[in-house]
Amino acid sequence: MPRHFPSAAHGRRTGRGAARRLIVGALGAICSILPSASHASAADKVRISALSDLSFGIITNFAADSVRSESLCLYAKSPPLDQYRITASGSGPGGSFDLTSGSDNLPYEVQWSASAGQSVGVPLMANQPLTAQQATASVDDCSKGAATTASLVVVVRSAAVSAASSGSYTGTLTLLVAPE
Amino acid sequence: MVIGGDTMHGFLKGNALLACCALGVASPSLAATQGSAGATSTGTVGISATVPGRVQISGLSDIVFGTVDPAVAAANSENVCVWSNTSGKGYTVTATGSGASNAFALSDGTNSLAYAVEWAGSSGQSAGTALVSGTALGGLSTTAANPTCSSGPVATASLIVRMTAANLQAAVASSYTGTLTLVVAPQ
Repeated sequence: MPRHFPSAAHGRRTGRGAARRLIVGALGAICSILPSASHASAADKVRISALSDLSFGIITNFAADSVRSESLCLYAKSPPLDQYRITASGSGPGGSFDLTSGSDNLPYEVQWSASAGQSVGVPLMANQPLTAQQATASVDDCSKGAATTASLVVVVRSAAVSAASSGSYTGTLTLLVAPE
Repeated sequence: MVIGGDTMHGFLKGNALLACCALGVASPSLAATQGSAGATSTGTVGISATVPGRVQISGLSDIVFGTVDPAVAAANSENVCVWSNTSGKGYTVTATGSGASNAFALSDGTNSLAYAVEWAGSSGQSAGTALVSGTALGGLSTTAANPTCSSGPVATASLIVRMTAANLQAAVASSYTGTLTLVVAPQ
């Protein structure tokens, strides 16, 4: 059975198309590896660790806000800026920041600081990322350099305490970190 | 009222007291989780807080009978705010007077004038449940929205003080004063 080969003209058209596809592909590949401040690459890596539970204990002062904070390790390898975004969600309905005691709830607020040792930070909204946070950890477990690099702050407002029924309240705060 | 040419005054002073009791609830067991290194990383933090049972009584004013007629029983009442944060908004109230053995009695320094105390679990009342000095009255609940009734109902209970005609007639003409102490507790 005779084999059918493409004509020379068809071959030239095919060759030009392949070249265009090659150029487009190459440009795409180049663009994909260019550093970007707003888009993470596959090589980027983040880690959040050194987290501890936060206990308010028995809140005795109803007239003042109750604040607990902790320093933790936040690592982000996302060249060139090593920035990250953090998203917090609570265990209340729809991820709201609510502690519960049976059917009763106690709302709280969450703040974030991209440096350790802080008792005040930028307010976080449930399920809404806080972007452009600068990471300073040199290794992903903070075993070298500063042991902690960020702060988590939780606030229970006095008005919320006064409005809450007596009881023992618990909840879970989930923190999701992604590179930028 | 004039008795033997002297006037008779009744004077009660209320004290706002705050009572609290801690809940005997063990701290819940929580455990933070650590994120691992990757394209994203997720960690969790357990948060716990205990809100103790609290109550507060406020909005108290002194009760002044002025000059009273011994032939007629005297009564005076006032609206107060009681707040409780228990799940049922319940509370107890215990009253004690400044008379001997905490009796509900006014004094002029030498003589005494007995009075009675009543409590109603709603405002605007001129009669209520009689209180016995030092004995808690329970089964009460409040509609207060906050500790001082600064929002919602401005008063949630009534304090009523009475003096019978018999006691007035038995009293020596004079000016009498005393202090009534009210203690509220979560229930």
